Amino acid sequence: MTVLQTFARVVENEEIIPGHRVMICNAPEIAKLAQPGHFLNVLASGTYESILRKPFSIFHADPASGDISMLYAVYGATTIGMARKLRGDTVDLVGPLGGNVFVPDSRQDAVHVMVGGGYGVPPLVFLAERLRETQPDARIVFIVGARRKELLLCEPELMALGVEFAPATEDGSRGKLGKVTDVLLEHLAPSASVYCCGPTPMMKAVGDLSIAANVPCQVSVEVPMPCGVGVCMGCVLDLNDGRRVRSCTEGPVFQASEVIWK
Amino acid sequence: MSTPNTSVRIGQLHLRNPVMTGSGTFGFGNEMANVLDLSRLGAVVVKSTSREPRLGNNTPRIVETPGGILNAIGLQNAGVDNFIAEKAPFLRQFDVPIIVNLVGYSVDDYVYLAKILTDTGTADALEINISCPNVSHGCDFAVDPNLTFELIAEIRKVTPLTLITKLSPNVTSVVPIAQAAWDAGSDAVSLINTLLGTAIDVKKRKFKLANKTGGLSGPAVKPVALRMVWQVAQALPKLPIVGMGGIVSATDAVEFLLAGATAVSVGTATFVNPNAAIDVIDGLIKWLTDNEVWDVNHLIGEVS
Repeated sequence: MTVLQTFARVVENEEIIPGHRVMICNAPEIAKLAQPGHFLNVLASGTYESILRKPFSIFHADPASGDISMLYAVYGATTIGMARKLRGDTVDLVGPLGGNVFVPDSRQDAVHVMVGGGYGVPPLVFLAERLRETQPDARIVFIVGARRKELLLCEPELMALGVEFAPATEDGSRGKLGKVTDVLLEHLAPSASVYCCGPTPMMKAVGDLSIAANVPCQVSVEVPMPCGVGVCMGCVLDLNDGRRVRSCTEGPVFQASEVIWK
Repeated sequence: MSTPNTSVRIGQLHLRNPVMTGSGTFGFGNEMANVLDLSRLGAVVVKSTSREPRLGNNTPRIVETPGGILNAIGLQNAGVDNFIAEKAPFLRQFDVPIIVNLVGYSVDDYVYLAKILTDTGTADALEINISCPNVSHGCDFAVDPNLTFELIAEIRKVTPLTLITKLSPNVTSVVPIAQAAWDAGSDAVSLINTLLGTAIDVKKRKFKLANKTGGLSGPAVKPVALRMVWQVAQALPKLPIVGMGGIVSATDAVEFLLAGATAVSVGTATFVNPNAAIDVIDGLIKWLTDNEVWDVNHLIGEVS
């Protein structure tokens, strides 16, 4: 698939919850190609300590307006550089990247169970959005985990999509007291199909529960990707069949049953 | 207005321009064909290819350091049979010379690889990697002129293809190694491979790389690379050099040509900007035109 490098114009770059921002920028050609699970490689560090691009999941892509967005937490050189961008500035993007994206379960009665933690939430919101467009009546359960209610991401977007919003917080301040896996257990019926993105321990736990319940589970892995285009061999992941594959071009989405978690 | 001549020659290899890709930074060309037009490149240098498939080292394999990166991939590749069956036919669709970087554990491995790649017509030139710092045996050849001579002489016996010997910067003096490679029949040398280094996570008090040590590349190494290219060019002015190490712009490429390189490779820059090699080519043509240098060969070794 075509990979584009572009200087995209920043349309909006606002804080949504403390420490987290959404950058919307205009990149029509990338917006046309983007699918849920694809990511963008951003060059914005501006420091000699960090010369590589950093990968960000695509949060929204609107082929009509050409806008694409990323949700990011401000914590390192690249995201600090991104947070400084103002409307009208440009941001250096490469994308859309990723060889395997989320594939919605095609069963008529499938219950789509999305499980997101931290910045694993945005690509799943994109997936829910696209699923709504193609299957307006599909049942979507969206489980979001956070330490406390102030850190729950994307609730307004999910409410607007009409999904069943099922939060879990570690302090019980919103939704279920506990972890996403505590909520997930209530939804692992035979018709369920799980899509997961978040911290690696969470994805392993979600994957293991799904496999035990004989429910298909797709995970979008979070592995540092130095080049993102499949040539540096830095982001490799071991699979159960003995293959050592690149997370960028042979992922980032895998079946949970394929992955050997580190 | 005329356009400058950019073609150069390395051994029997005629390149439309002096800009190649650094081995290990461009895969086998198939991934990058989604990004850029391969037929604009001087040559494609593919990732190190070994006799048997190799899984490489554990992760983390690449970490950032100031102005560069440290890598310890460990030569992961699917082996030469896979290259011949799958990678080479794809690359052959493009009008671009293929330089195969080969690596082995023994003289026998290198000879086997050189012969099979020559016999199958899947390479236009061979880059002999005697200097990978991330595997236990790959480096031995590059630090001893006698071993370099013996290896290259044996490879020379089995192939008429242009041979480029890739040298290590991790030596006291690089000139005797370059001389040995040339005496044994190498048509050219390429330098530099990565500089051996390490990085430590102070919070965890652990090495950042699973392999502990790795090879440093990127802009941080450019002055070292330039100095070594110049030293070899001074000592062996007739030996063609492929210069590399931290090239990210056309100006960097011109520096290497002035230091004595006949061609250059763009490596780590490709990780940051997938189009880096094309940007260097376009920038070089513009630089030559702006400076009214009508043949790129007129720059080679012209530093004073």
